[in-house]
Amino acid sequence: MRGKQGSGKRGTTRRRIKPSTVLIAAILGIWGLMILYPFYNVVIVSFMTEKEYVRTAFVLFPKELTLDAYMRVFSNARIWSGYRSTLLIVALGVPFNLFLTVTLAYALSKKSFPGKRFFNFLVVFTMYFSGGVIPLYLLVKDLGLMGSLASVIVTYGVSVYYMIIIKNYFLGIPDSLREAAQIDGANDLVIMLRIYLPMSTPVLATFLLFFLVDRWNSWYEGMLYLTDAKKWPLQLVLREIVATSQKTEPGMAMGLLAKRENFGMGIKMASVVVTMAPIMVAFPFLQKYFMRGMTMGAVKE
Amino acid sequence: MKHSKIGSKTDFRKLGREIARNKYIYLIMSFGIFYLILFSYVPMRGLLLAFKDYKVRRGIMGSPWVGFAHFERLFREADFRRAFVNTLQISFGRILFQFPFPILIAILVNELRGGKGKKALQTIYTFPHFLSWVIVAVVVGNVFESDGAANQLIQLFGGEPRLFLADKTLFRPLLYFTDVWKESGWSSIIYLSAISAISGELYEAAAVDGANRLQRIVHITLPGIRSTVVVMLLLAVGGVMNGGFDQIFNMSNPTVQKVSDIIDTYIYRITFTQATDFGFSTAVGLFKSVINFVLLVSFDFVARKFEGRGIME
Repeated sequence: MRGKQGSGKRGTTRRRIKPSTVLIAAILGIWGLMILYPFYNVVIVSFMTEKEYVRTAFVLFPKELTLDAYMRVFSNARIWSGYRSTLLIVALGVPFNLFLTVTLAYALSKKSFPGKRFFNFLVVFTMYFSGGVIPLYLLVKDLGLMGSLASVIVTYGVSVYYMIIIKNYFLGIPDSLREAAQIDGANDLVIMLRIYLPMSTPVLATFLLFFLVDRWNSWYEGMLYLTDAKKWPLQLVLREIVATSQKTEPGMAMGLLAKRENFGMGIKMASVVVTMAPIMVAFPFLQKYFMRGMTMGAVKE
Repeated sequence: MKHSKIGSKTDFRKLGREIARNKYIYLIMSFGIFYLILFSYVPMRGLLLAFKDYKVRRGIMGSPWVGFAHFERLFREADFRRAFVNTLQISFGRILFQFPFPILIAILVNELRGGKGKKALQTIYTFPHFLSWVIVAVVVGNVFESDGAANQLIQLFGGEPRLFLADKTLFRPLLYFTDVWKESGWSSIIYLSAISAISGELYEAAAVDGANRLQRIVHITLPGIRSTVVVMLLLAVGGVMNGGFDQIFNMSNPTVQKVSDIIDTYIYRITFTQATDFGFSTAVGLFKSVINFVLLVSFDFVARKFEGRGIME
């Protein structure tokens, strides 16, 4: 069915591009545009003048561009404090994640040692069962971390899922290297630092990036543990900006009329851009590392 | 008897030597293990609250027992029952409507010749995965606003504009669509790597036999990724108690709560925005965790038995 469509038209061209190829490329292209358009819209609205937006909210090419919304976003102290919190969480949290996860992965990648099965079970069990929100909340309270950025940093430590992928990578490093080093008198710590880690730098880079994104995007822990809004990470600040500009939209049923009356929209969109800009700018260059991590997780042998 | 005793003694000594020889392994491991004990196992002690009347001043251990009172209340609570049903409905809705998309994308992308275009497409497809639902809820939400692109399109074809975000019948399809939008590109990578593991000879032989593209997809590609599909499906079914907190929390509003409230959003609401009863909230959480655990263990077992690998690996 699919192959037949338009076969007369394109099938006879000199390069012999199959009609089904055209169809597939078209479907994938449209899906790509459907993913891009909402981002384009966000960026456009963030640069639009209030006047033009109020007249027609749906614009593909605005006539006039302005930085008004960005000026107001950057004069908002909350955005700056959000950036500061998020950067602190990333700077302290990512090394914390990497250290705990990689050391565990290395230890559990050793072929056999007394208690290995027990420790392995102890670690993996946490993926299947957890105490849930409230017990963790009470623990954070008991530890006296409530209201401190430390609560957000410390409650995300080992990622068992990433640990397993890193461990599987370590398992692929030939044992003979370990044995040779052992004969030379190296202990497991030296072997980790001198052999395993240097041989895994691309993998470590990949998971550094994964942790970085996880940290950048975290908001839930902050919402639970950070009582003082001045300490909120960027994502949570954004959540609030979005929520407050929605509040001025009275009665969802009147949406059509109501939204025109306020210009939270430009600020809302500029805040979104400011929050996702670092990932958006860096992503095209880093995508291959992320994909490698995902592929490693899928293919074990 | 005597022999085995001597044997166990030397075994014991051997064990001691083995432990000593691996002392650095234990040292290296100790940080992660200590972390998990403190942040995963110690909180499990808090699950006792599900059977207690929590008094802040008396702490978890000192609070009085109430037996199964919280659970009895749980099953009487209409809001909980609704959240429970919603969770299952939304999760199975996701499996039904969302699950095929990444597979479809992987198959189609695989049919493209490599090159800059294919790379650019994949960059676009995978990007939304790296944004939080806080952001995506706004970015995609715009499209479905009263005067957003979706309604412009509807009006272009002569339809009536709809309030997608505040419409009880449209909200769940919207959940499925936006999650497909955000995640299917990223999930497709698993299937793509499974496809790339299929031997090229199979395709060549099929081409020689005159198989067309659709036949190659149906008879080579699909069987080739069967095991991956099954494992991903089992993983999805194992997670039906979740339903997608981040997405729903950021996209729903009181108007659609009836169809959007899941167990996790229910727990959050009763714990942190309404009168706090930690004992009851913990009971809800425990109820969810136990079912979740049973599902994951059973499906993991099924996956190991039939596909030779667990769902979590």
